Amino acid sequence: MSEIYEQIATGILEGNVPKIPELVQKALDEGLNANDILNDGLVVGMNEVGNRFKSGAMFIPEVLKSAKAMHAGQELLRSLLAASGAAQTGKIVLGTVQGDLHDIGKNLVGMMCEGAGFEVIDLGFNIEPEKFTEAIKKHQPNIVGMSALLTTTMRAMGYTIKAIEEAGLRDKVKVMVGGAPVDAEFAERIGADGYGHNAVSGAELAKKLVGAA
Amino acid sequence: MSEVLTSISNAIIQGKKDDIGELTQKALDEGQSAQDILYKGLMPGMDHVSDKFKAGDMFVPEVMRSARSMANSMKILKPLLIETGVAMIGKVLLGTVKGDLHDIGKNLVGMMCEGAGFEVKDLGISVEPEAFVEAVKEFEPDIVGMSALLTTTMRSMGDTIKALEEAGVRDRVKVMIGGAPVNQSFADKIGADAYAPDAAAASDVAKKLVKKS
Amino acid sequence: MRTNYRINSGVRFEMLSQDQLQELFDGVLHVLENIGLEVHHDEGRDILKNAGAWVDGKRVRIPQYLVKRSLEMAPRSFTIYARDGNPKHDIHIGPGRAHFGPGPTPPNFIDVETQERRPYVKDDARIVATVVDALPNIDFCESLGTISDVHPDLAASYEFAEMFPNTSKPIVAWSYGWDDSEDIHKIAVAEAGGQDAFERRPNYVHYCEPLSPLVSTFEAVDKLIFAARHRVPLIFTPCPLAGGTAPVTAAGIIIQAAAESWMGLVLAQAIQPGVPFFMGGVLSVMDMNAMILSYGAPELALMMAGATELAHFAGLPLWQTGGCTDSKVLDEQASLEGSISCFFSALTGGDLCHDVGYTESGITGSILQTVMMDEAIGYSRRITRGIEVNEDTLATDTIHNVGPNGHYLYEEHTHRYFKTEFWYPNLCDRHNFEEWEAAGKTKMRDRVIERTRDILSSHKPSAIKPATKKAIKEILEAAEARVKDKQ
Repeated sequence: MSEIYEQIATGILEGNVPKIPELVQKALDEGLNANDILNDGLVVGMNEVGNRFKSGAMFIPEVLKSAKAMHAGQELLRSLLAASGAAQTGKIVLGTVQGDLHDIGKNLVGMMCEGAGFEVIDLGFNIEPEKFTEAIKKHQPNIVGMSALLTTTMRAMGYTIKAIEEAGLRDKVKVMVGGAPVDAEFAERIGADGYGHNAVSGAELAKKLVGAA
Repeated sequence: MSEVLTSISNAIIQGKKDDIGELTQKALDEGQSAQDILYKGLMPGMDHVSDKFKAGDMFVPEVMRSARSMANSMKILKPLLIETGVAMIGKVLLGTVKGDLHDIGKNLVGMMCEGAGFEVKDLGISVEPEAFVEAVKEFEPDIVGMSALLTTTMRSMGDTIKALEEAGVRDRVKVMIGGAPVNQSFADKIGADAYAPDAAAASDVAKKLVKKS
Repeated sequence: MRTNYRINSGVRFEMLSQDQLQELFDGVLHVLENIGLEVHHDEGRDILKNAGAWVDGKRVRIPQYLVKRSLEMAPRSFTIYARDGNPKHDIHIGPGRAHFGPGPTPPNFIDVETQERRPYVKDDARIVATVVDALPNIDFCESLGTISDVHPDLAASYEFAEMFPNTSKPIVAWSYGWDDSEDIHKIAVAEAGGQDAFERRPNYVHYCEPLSPLVSTFEAVDKLIFAARHRVPLIFTPCPLAGGTAPVTAAGIIIQAAAESWMGLVLAQAIQPGVPFFMGGVLSVMDMNAMILSYGAPELALMMAGATELAHFAGLPLWQTGGCTDSKVLDEQASLEGSISCFFSALTGGDLCHDVGYTESGITGSILQTVMMDEAIGYSRRITRGIEVNEDTLATDTIHNVGPNGHYLYEEHTHRYFKTEFWYPNLCDRHNFEEWEAAGKTKMRDRVIERTRDILSSHKPSAIKPATKKAIKEILEAAEARVKDKQ
């Protein structure tokens, strides 16, 4: 294996945001192919990040930095991967549901999903059900992710799923939900496809939902 | 029931150690027998105290006052009871064993036993085995109670029991022991007849021991 | 006669110096004047503007003089009254007085019978109120959950309607918005005997929660306006996460939380000068691995102590936090985290300490935890009461009376003091081994459950007036009609 892959993986692990594009460019200049750079460099690094996070050796601010570095590397590879026919992991539309202004959990999920290779469209917070359906029509995502922090606003997740059904779009997307008061039982009750208990598990769930994990 | 006996019960419960003598005299003046004052006035009061203590509604200083009140009344009644041929509930010989100067636990037991209607002889602290033996011969108690607070002095309890055996008086008395480091299995090991975990339990144990014999 | 004699009554606790507190105070003023907050409420912004705030779109900045004037207007000492006139249940807010109670809105509850975690239901509000009413060291009531088995818009109305008849201790009420705030207020006013009577003797406190960082949400402001207009004592309490939605440093999060809360102070005093106002803020760390707001972290106790000192420096009472845990069950972790934060809270004298009974980082309410913490609070209160020193407590006469080799059990002195000088546990076991063994070898957990069940089977809270009972029925019927056609 090329030494450059190892450097890229280490760069991801260290969350070295400026260094990664440099390394990826260097690898391309050396004539390595985009798919290998992704899978043997970036993804290897990101998998190790996931392992270290789970064992408690890495913390969220560090994981986010790694995800950002990952994203920077992927941006550089995106056009090449598309040209070579290697598809993106998938597309995700994210939003905090109506009535809820809590942003941070949803942002974390977005960053982690980008790090996992998804294209992420973040609708922001206090998103009405209709806004979700419009965004599905416009962006045609694989996954819709909804977040709520309050027991008072988690109901809006159910309303949003209903709105997606009524618009005839429910079978076009997988729906995943998350947020402090949400649990798997609630997800099942409102008819979501999955529940992520934190940002890292959210990104893993997204990969599973598109069959990429 | 007579009003004066009720007020004697109440005086016991309230620990009116300075008033009880007067009340006892008043009851006698009203023609109550010493026996009735004991069994219908003092004893029901003391039983009530004991129940309240076990339930956690009365505390040691209060119980002590009740016991002292009982003893103060008994001082007046005792000669009368003997005169009329009514036996005391029993005699208890008490002492803290050789080498041990801890007084308070043994004193509490003495007061509680007096409160329960026993005649108590207290040998004091650091009592040699021989002194116990002599006192048994002289005082002819039903029960010998030994106390020790230290793990280093609790062995003296065994020595004292042996001395009682060697003097041939062991079968004339029941032996009960107590103190912080003492427990039932130690009591069994040294051949004591009973163990009491605290002063309130001690007077109950003493009552049981004289009933058995 | 004594001269130049200084008395320290109770344990002295002081964390930050006056110089440091002045720096924090200036920091809050800086944030409010120079950075400002978003206020998502048109009328709220108008009121603030008329009061002298600088409004730019949704952003509202508050000049220092206006903050200081508002601090001046808010009372430091006042009373929240028991609904039934029982003076033992009144809460006197003032320097050196710490009070304790549960918290609002977790979705789950630990079932008292099964000890299983399940969704919070209506009857749980009755259970919590009844137990709170009976516990000697719990001073105010909150529900420990959001009712899941009524129409979702009416969860808060039912919650208050269930709690109010089952405790005469003051309730800290939580609501969604204007309508249910009105339901709650009507119930409280019915019992008080009218709005005027309520204003003289307020029997509940209203709870509003702005958003971190630096946003006063529509609901929070709407509820605040309702409370201020009706002269309901109120709490404006953000829930910032250090390192997530607030600076990672304790000093930084305290400043931000204070700015978020004082936006509410300025608005409330502009509407109703002198309305009692509690500075709020649940300040803790965002655990950088578990990604939760930690309710058991030492930083929570520390940050809350800092916030309490700042509030008191500024002349406000504080909405403290303690008795809570990240543990999922009634175990050693729950006892450790809860007890230490209770003790720390008692030391600070933070005026109303809530969340006593929060488990699983605020996701599950547990009245069992509250019952266990009642013991920790009693314990803490004995320590903070301190050592009384006077001629009688020095006891030299008594020492003389007893002398060597005697004992103190008969002494009048002992009898005078043994009940007040000593704290007697309700749950901690002090029996000897044999007695403990004979009583079934119970653990703390067993005794907590037993005590809770005993209270529920035997405790009878004082009744509300028949007219209030009728009013509650009518208010709930009207509320049901209001939401009939809503999802």
